[in-house]
Amino acid sequence: MEKENGANPSSETERWQFGHNKAVVAAGNRSLREAIYKVIACVEETGPRPVIPIANGDPSVFPSFRTTPIAEEAIVEAVRSAEYNNYSPTNGLLSARQAVADYLSKDLPYKLSPDDVFLTAGCSQAIDIIISALSRPGANVLLPRPGFPMYEARCIYNNVEMRHFDLIPEQGWELDLEQVKKLADENTVAIVVCNPNNPCGSVLKYHHMEEIAKTARKLGVMIISDEVYDHLTFGSNPFIPMGIFGDIVPVVTLGSISKRWVVPGWRLGWIATTDPKGILRKTKVVDSIRSILDITTDPATFIQGALPQIIEKTKDDFFNNITHILRDAAELCYNKIKDIKCITCPHKPEGSMFVMVKLNLSCLVDINDDVDFCSKLAKEESVIVCPGSALEMKNWLRITFAVEQTSLVVGLERLKLFCERHEKN
Amino acid sequence: MEKEKENAGKPLEEKWHFGHNKAAAAAGSRSIRGTLSKVIASVEETGPRPLIQLGHGDPSPFPSFRTTPIAEDAILEAVKSAQYNHYSPSSGLLPARRAVAEYLSKDIPYKLSSDDIFLTAGCAQAIDIVIAALARPDANILLPRPGFPLYDARCTFYNVEMRHFDLIPEQGWELDLDQVEKLTDENTVAIVLINPNNPSGSVLKYQHMEEIAKTARKLGIMVISDEAYGHLTFGSNPFIPMGVFGDVVPILTLGSISKRWVVPGWRLGWIAMTDPKGILSETKVIDSIRSILDITINPVTFIQGAIPQIIEKTKDDFFNNIIHVLRGAAELCYNKIKDIKCITCPHKPEGSMFVMVKLNLSYLVDISDDVDFCIKLAKEDSVIICPGSVLEMKNWLRITFAIEPASLEVGLERLKSFCERHGKN
Repeated sequence: MEKENGANPSSETERWQFGHNKAVVAAGNRSLREAIYKVIACVEETGPRPVIPIANGDPSVFPSFRTTPIAEEAIVEAVRSAEYNNYSPTNGLLSARQAVADYLSKDLPYKLSPDDVFLTAGCSQAIDIIISALSRPGANVLLPRPGFPMYEARCIYNNVEMRHFDLIPEQGWELDLEQVKKLADENTVAIVVCNPNNPCGSVLKYHHMEEIAKTARKLGVMIISDEVYDHLTFGSNPFIPMGIFGDIVPVVTLGSISKRWVVPGWRLGWIATTDPKGILRKTKVVDSIRSILDITTDPATFIQGALPQIIEKTKDDFFNNITHILRDAAELCYNKIKDIKCITCPHKPEGSMFVMVKLNLSCLVDINDDVDFCSKLAKEESVIVCPGSALEMKNWLRITFAVEQTSLVVGLERLKLFCERHEKN
Repeated sequence: MEKEKENAGKPLEEKWHFGHNKAAAAAGSRSIRGTLSKVIASVEETGPRPLIQLGHGDPSPFPSFRTTPIAEDAILEAVKSAQYNHYSPSSGLLPARRAVAEYLSKDIPYKLSSDDIFLTAGCAQAIDIVIAALARPDANILLPRPGFPLYDARCTFYNVEMRHFDLIPEQGWELDLDQVEKLTDENTVAIVLINPNNPSGSVLKYQHMEEIAKTARKLGIMVISDEAYGHLTFGSNPFIPMGVFGDVVPILTLGSISKRWVVPGWRLGWIAMTDPKGILSETKVIDSIRSILDITINPVTFIQGAIPQIIEKTKDDFFNNIIHVLRGAAELCYNKIKDIKCITCPHKPEGSMFVMVKLNLSYLVDISDDVDFCIKLAKEDSVIICPGSVLEMKNWLRITFAIEPASLEVGLERLKSFCERHGKN
């Protein structure tokens, strides 16, 4: 079939039958990376004052947060052995899966086997795979607002309808379970719970988690428990894995070493079926996960090879130190915000690396919304904060306190100055 | 609650609203991994005779194929620097992209910039992303038969119609371009080319590649050139990147370090825009790729960090040695097969790690097809070979010769015995 056009460049697109995929572009628009890049693009200063990045959850570049030498050594050993240059088996190396099973089992009332663990290239890939595994024509998933936009992106990508329920600021960001019940219907397949919470910094209480489990059971939906910030708690509520309620409702636990070990660039995470009654197996959700893993890229084999050593040999000192730094940083952040008139923090952060704060636009003269606030803040003060709109909370901000303390102090001071400069008299 | 009691007696499907994803299952069934698992499951021997793997393309465990210490050192340096523990930017680290751009530019008549390179977690992820980027309602893609089933799996997963054209055994596995033209319609978006070829071991000639480019241009479709086995040629036809014809037709070149450096477990590959006229940008295919990368996992950051050193410092000695081993192995394999009555090799392999051979069932007594052949061979002789059915060529076999030469000899000898044992008198 001949298709002849003139050599005119503008008609080049006409002669070609391929083009873009609108659905993926829509999914890509939900990318948090993009939202933050747009804010960073507003920075005008070229120095010497440094840019203060308190938008991203990635403290790996800061000396205080450097990962334990034990983890680095485990990698070195695995590479030097030359035993892990091969393709990984579909679900991940057995030794690595065993290590994760043992790690997670420590905090559960039942033992996970390595067959309950599926290794993924980070928690992001775990999210990709579980949303994909659950997608069916007409299915919907319940997502928290505010949330982590990777869920939204993946729902759009997989044509899964999203229904958002609120986390209630005045109630420690607990889930609005009445709303959850109203939103669910016979096509609802799962509810996503992120605990410790990104972006709010909240940590759920046992009693509330039990209610969530019972509600999910009543509604016939599974829980996707995103525990990427597992154990990163420093307030009064301890970390409780949702898997504890696995006998009430099937729970799929997502996690990784990215946050606790501060190595997001290593891309090692997991999906764990914390489901002692084996319902996920019986309903073939596990089969779907396996089918997708069969055709999907794996975490680097030598990082899997290093995992048992990383998990088993890391000392509590290291973990305690990180938690200590986060506790101080959260305290600093919370106190500073109290001093800023146009920003309110409804709940002191006690976990993860973030806090959600509300913008009181009525106190500000020439700021339209959260995106405008963040763009101007970047431009005038070279401080990067994440606009809440990207997380479904317009006119809120997400601030990271997981940065070098000196930078945090400077960043919060500049934030305060910016607000004072734009406040009504 | 009453509903609880009602639910208690209900079958699982009524009680729980989630279930499996049939499309994922269909896609997953198109996997070599899956099929080879079934063959391996037929093995009965537990030793001392070792299992001989002639089924998959992964020589990394074998001493003759060990990667260069330069690559290992580059990784170790990157890890120990602690400069690469962070999240990667969407397209990949700039120095890594620049290194790949320079590497690929050596063999094409124009220069690629770092913006033309998108790093992926292996070529497998590159395939995932490209198929997803091109997916549109009603789109179809032309795939080679025999082929690499990951393309089929991803097309199934993304609902892209597949149309298979033949590679012609008697013509050195060249493409049947008449058939290509007949299969194409206004919804065809791309044709996939794998060169050097998996599974046939063929390497395309310049003139034929030029014809392919012109044909694709005429049809208004792009070329996806899978060059995972780039430079792994050891016969009379040299490796020519399809990008050489990038001014004739837009080409996306897929590649990785997995094969040439024998490190498939490291998961480092790329999509390169070998499209000097910028048509892929104009038609927004690149936008789709970027959107997907924004919400997708990246290769491990420290492996990206090591790439410039890996690419720039690896000596030719290492590459030449690998090719030398492959040449010897291919020769051995081809000659041995000539001695086996029920197997014919239409074309001596001159590239990649594989050869396609035809089973002459009429010479065999109790073998029903290629899958039956492979299962019985595994059971009786502990040799694993990939049945051609999974590659769309029923009653053919794909044999890997990229294993330790001593093991290859043993494996081929056992294959011969098996065939004699099952041969008609």
